[in-house]
Amino acid sequence: MRKHVLGSTMALAVVWAVWSLASNPAAGQEAARAKPTSFGGCPAETLAFHACAQEKAKTFTPPRTPAGTPDMQGYWRDQLTHGFSVEGVDESEPETRNAVQPWPVGPGMIVDPPDRKIPYQPWAAKIGRKGVNYEKHIDPTSSCRPYSPPRDVQVSPFHQLLQPPGGESVVWLMEEVHSFRVIHTDGRPHVGKDIKLWKGDAVGRWEGNTLVTDVTNFNGYTWLDDLGNFYTDAGHVVDRWTMIDPDTMHYEVTIEDPTVYTRPWKMAWPITRDTAPGLEIIEEACWEGESDLVHFRSQGYTTYFGQTWRSQRGSGR
Amino acid sequence: MTHRFIGWPIAAAAVVAALSCQAPPGPAQTDTQSSLPRTPEGGPDLTGIWQAVNTAEWDLQDHVAQKGVPAGPGVVEGNDIPYQPWALAKKQENFKNRLTADPVEAKCFLPGVPRVTYMPYPFQIVQSPKHIAMLYEYSEANRTIYTDGSPHLPGAIDSFWMGDSRGRWEGDTLVVDTIHLSDQTWLDRAGNFHSEALHVVERYSLTGPDHINYEVTLEDPKVFTRPWKMSMPLYRRKEPSVRILEYPCFRFLQEELQPRK
Repeated sequence: MRKHVLGSTMALAVVWAVWSLASNPAAGQEAARAKPTSFGGCPAETLAFHACAQEKAKTFTPPRTPAGTPDMQGYWRDQLTHGFSVEGVDESEPETRNAVQPWPVGPGMIVDPPDRKIPYQPWAAKIGRKGVNYEKHIDPTSSCRPYSPPRDVQVSPFHQLLQPPGGESVVWLMEEVHSFRVIHTDGRPHVGKDIKLWKGDAVGRWEGNTLVTDVTNFNGYTWLDDLGNFYTDAGHVVDRWTMIDPDTMHYEVTIEDPTVYTRPWKMAWPITRDTAPGLEIIEEACWEGESDLVHFRSQGYTTYFGQTWRSQRGSGR
Repeated sequence: MTHRFIGWPIAAAAVVAALSCQAPPGPAQTDTQSSLPRTPEGGPDLTGIWQAVNTAEWDLQDHVAQKGVPAGPGVVEGNDIPYQPWALAKKQENFKNRLTADPVEAKCFLPGVPRVTYMPYPFQIVQSPKHIAMLYEYSEANRTIYTDGSPHLPGAIDSFWMGDSRGRWEGDTLVVDTIHLSDQTWLDRAGNFHSEALHVVERYSLTGPDHINYEVTLEDPKVFTRPWKMSMPLYRRKEPSVRILEYPCFRFLQEELQPRK
């Protein structure tokens, strides 16, 4: 879990370090576990996996539900993701040697554009990516606020997919902050434009064996990662889930927001089935007993309501 | 940050675990009319968006109107909740302090079971053969009812705000047995309450395509003198555009702390 990554203030860093040790005693074990070299027969490297998985998806025939759609139900875990920064953190980044709070090194998840960076407009790059958001604001998830896609899929330790009979919806249950995403696959339109939501409004469809989800109607109060990368209330997220073997999915997400990016961009990663016996999602209450916000505020961090982009994107929004 | 509520000692959890997890045999609610929606396996299909339409959230018992509180007949069988004497005094104290003490209205905490069912927000039931998910609009509360024959989590564990729910089918009735509940939730805005020893048995019976008869038995030997029941219909939301939106309650508290610019 990585909720409390903030600017480099000593007092906060100590709070964070104690918290993360206390809350994640298994971190050492995770690190010690051998890294897999492949997922679903594809290499365990983002770009190579992405290319390989698209080919494998063409020949794999998934099991079907009674409604006739691919049956993807079960418990799933993300692989090759880096919650700190969707662009990844390279060892050459000076902040990885920050004595107080070193940034975690990890691979980026972006597969397009080729430079694997978010194609921000110049003004917006100064807000996301180690910018104003990171320096001034509390990560929205640190205050237990809802996750929007694709961060909802990416940060949860694991999630469960349910496909109720009738095939009219698909539901993801996330362990992180007891969240869920209901994807209506009955052909209904999005809600009206004045209904703006933390998680957005998700409608979906099946394209062959791929579940395609279209999410709009965001309020723009959420981030993509701990570093403050973002989209606004004009964001449009399209996720694509495709099984490439019985226990592996290829996940691809396209994010579009003409008000802050110069073009749409894509991330991809593997999602693997967890078949551990007796696995259940355990309630992760967050707000109940929450006591960290007062510390964040005392250090000068403020709640994020999208004011950074609102003030620079122009009037009326 | 407290991610999982860990509010009482192991001993109490053991007491909870030691309680019977079996529901008392209830009246058969097996309406097998062919109009009931059914799953491919043949059982009733509760999938859909439902909502209670009554005033139980304000007060489970008979009550007259107050400002912001609609009047309503109670949903408790016989209207009386069989509190032990100390507990009745506590309930009255809760009522007096309700505007600042209600864990939901004052603090935006998860509401627990069964209160979450009759709050004035829709909820969605998603049914699969081994898991039934209940997704509530209020604060993204949700729970999974395991109908795979698995037992409650054993022994000395933390409690959960939304409890540990295991279900089974008795004819066409879904019977949900819930324990491991927090003692920090109330049953309504009027201060009706329980302890961590609460054992809830809910019975969901489709009585037609668009109605569920919802009956709840509450047992808590630390607070009540005997088990007691409430019941109400749940109605299917029929609007074509209906869906579970968001009521992120704590966000409004955060805005009070730091107003949006």
